[in-house]
Amino acid sequence: MTTRGRLWAWPGELRARGILGINRRNADFVLPANPRSHYPRVDDKLLSKKFCEERGIPVPETYAIIEREGDIRGFPDCVRARPQFVIKPASGSGGRGITVVADHDNEKFRTSGGAELELAEVRYHLSTIISGLYSLGGQQDRAIIEQRIIRHAVFEHIAVGGTPDIRVVLYRSVPVMAMVRLPTSASRGRANLHQGAVAAAVDLRMGETFGGVCKDRVISEHPDTGATIEGLRIPFWDKLLEAAQKLAEALEMGYVGVDFVLDATVGPVVLEANARPGLAIQVANRCGLAHRLEFLDAQPPEMFAPARRVELVSAMSEMK
Amino acid sequence: MNARRATPWVACLLVLLGIVLVGLRAYTRRELQLASGESLWRLTYTVKFQTETAGARLSAAFPFDTAHCRVFRQNVLHPELQPERLRSSLLASRGIDLLTLYPGEQNMTAKFDIHLSRRARFRAHDQESSLSAQARAEWLRSDKMVQADSAVVVETLQNIRRETPPSGDLVQRLFEYCHTQIAAGEDAAPSDATGALKKKAGSPIGRTRAFAALCRASKTPARVVTGFVMEENDNLEPRVWVEAWLGDRWVPFEPENGFARELPYNYLAVRRDGGDIVRVARGSGLETHFAALRLPPGPGAGRSKHHSLVALADLTRLPLEMHEVLSLILLLPIGGLVTAFFRTIIGIRTFGTFTPTLIALSFVFADWRTGVFVFVLVLLAGLISRTFLDRLKLLMVPRLSTVLTLVVLCIIFCVSLLDMLRLTPGAQAVLLPMVILTMTIERFYLTSEEDGTGFAFQLLAGTVVVAFCCYLVLRWAAVGRFLFMFPEAHLFTIAVLILMGRYTGYRLTELLRFRDFGPTHKPTEPRS
Repeated sequence: MTTRGRLWAWPGELRARGILGINRRNADFVLPANPRSHYPRVDDKLLSKKFCEERGIPVPETYAIIEREGDIRGFPDCVRARPQFVIKPASGSGGRGITVVADHDNEKFRTSGGAELELAEVRYHLSTIISGLYSLGGQQDRAIIEQRIIRHAVFEHIAVGGTPDIRVVLYRSVPVMAMVRLPTSASRGRANLHQGAVAAAVDLRMGETFGGVCKDRVISEHPDTGATIEGLRIPFWDKLLEAAQKLAEALEMGYVGVDFVLDATVGPVVLEANARPGLAIQVANRCGLAHRLEFLDAQPPEMFAPARRVELVSAMSEMK
Repeated sequence: MNARRATPWVACLLVLLGIVLVGLRAYTRRELQLASGESLWRLTYTVKFQTETAGARLSAAFPFDTAHCRVFRQNVLHPELQPERLRSSLLASRGIDLLTLYPGEQNMTAKFDIHLSRRARFRAHDQESSLSAQARAEWLRSDKMVQADSAVVVETLQNIRRETPPSGDLVQRLFEYCHTQIAAGEDAAPSDATGALKKKAGSPIGRTRAFAALCRASKTPARVVTGFVMEENDNLEPRVWVEAWLGDRWVPFEPENGFARELPYNYLAVRRDGGDIVRVARGSGLETHFAALRLPPGPGAGRSKHHSLVALADLTRLPLEMHEVLSLILLLPIGGLVTAFFRTIIGIRTFGTFTPTLIALSFVFADWRTGVFVFVLVLLAGLISRTFLDRLKLLMVPRLSTVLTLVVLCIIFCVSLLDMLRLTPGAQAVLLPMVILTMTIERFYLTSEEDGTGFAFQLLAGTVVVAFCCYLVLRWAAVGRFLFMFPEAHLFTIAVLILMGRYTGYRLTELLRFRDFGPTHKPTEPRS
């Protein structure tokens, strides 16, 4: 599939393969399909959570919301009974500002990455979140303290130092493409492709992984463990797809990426939604998005009724 | 796809409108005929002097804008001289002070393009409607050459007063006295007020000072004006006259040629404190040469009435001090254009959208070597201090302000260091966008923490590359001049930006990013 030695592809070649570029994604899909007024629904994680909860879509349980500097004083009390938790900014993006605490004795906090933080450092982290360091445009933000998701055993050998997440891209509420992002030592346990995490495509019908990408290059094995990342069956796949569609409909965002994590007991849990999902998913799938999106645009409206979407999903998974 | 179809139309419309507006203005400019009684002149100062030490000062005064005269272009060349300050005080004098950097022969050339009008059609910048007590005292004072309190002056004044009827005009009598009773002498004749009155003869400046002294002795504030009479001459001599404060305004009197209360329109005031037009402190062998040349009608000269719409778009009618700043502001959108090109067509990512433009803009002002030196040093110092600050766990705003303070200090000490190395930068060299630099430092630090140092350096490199390209465009003097003449040309900029805003093709970097899709596999046809 890959040819070595080529340093670039011609635009005609990419067009033939249906590769979607950033400019076209923004101008033809994100701008027309996502009304600006609905952006807070995805940018503000607390609001996204509310949307999910109202529709019975599982999300990590919120332990506390820290809105003001003064609230930080109460932080030790609210985590006293919770050995594990996650601190994240309500308006963060790209996994920035997220700290996963795996264990603590109310004075020393051990993160999932193995680092040990003093209480003072955790409090400082909370106050930087509130001061808006991680939020878009630097506005005041809120810190969410929520349940840590225990990763599902299925990812044992292909996730290093963190929890993998599953991204489904939906257009007009139809799942178009999916991938699973696997943390590596290079990404320091984060499922962020930018930082060296690995992604594998997920077949939309079967929920089985195939393909793979790391740093925009095609791969098929986990770079740390050497385990193959292909052919893995993702549990609860139908439930996950259904939740993704329900959420996309609720958010009223035409072009959206929904991120899930798989909890060992609950199954798919929504982490967040993204109004401008990245394009690396195409490399993981070894297939462009453009043809699939154009195909959906050519369908009559009745095809988008929830009952008939299955046909579209299977059409999507067959397009190469 | 409504937007897609509308975009080219909007762009076309803007381009058409731009062509029409620029064309019309260019046409009227070409057709420009100066009205009768109007003329364009070029006044040139050529100055040469010697110094033994660095730090000698050359002060040159520039022509005033008056109701009859408007300087519409000015170009001062002073190799090896350091501008100390550009004076543009509307009242005393407008001009420049230059310091020598090295001993030896020094040169300065200044050229002024001047629009003269027989009618009082320009907005005069030199009109005062009241005189402060301080200014009044200043213009009544007796000094070394205008000895208003000397016995001769007082006595002459008393004699004239006695002959003047109480209702008569004393200032007029004083003027008549100086014009008729003091003979015009050679250059050797007395050049101070007392000498001229005693001898009943004086050099032009002597007669002028005598009149000024008599005015001051009679409690009428008076000042000696130095200037030129514009006529084609490649060796123009400065002229002097007096302005007397007659209750509500300054009124000119010229004893030499007998002009009272009104001067011909081609009298050009340059200095109003009795001093020489060009002066040198701690230098010797001052040679000054003035020349006036009549210019053919051309662009830049103010034309139509002041309040017409065409005049609104004609930026050249604005005071000279605003020209440089306005041209720079007009270049900003070009920086935006370059940035947009790099981001949407090439796909280079930068820290902040307009950071590269602002950095480039500051480099246009500065000498670029100084700029780069200060920029790199500030960035380094900022990043190092930011790393230490991180340990203190400060809240965001105080932390950012701390970095800003450090950036400011760093810039100041860079200037001091450069000065110590005898590489004194111009003050503008350090007009780096400090707030932008602070934000860049903060973003660089956070990006390297969050997304890895490699990515942070990638963004920094992108910022530098885009800033460099912006710099090349912004420095392109022809672009700046054109935009200053035709600001409406920015309609083209908007048209290009709009077209770019609907560019849905691949970014150049995406051709690399998706290169694994290169091989020419036939894509399978979509099945429905």
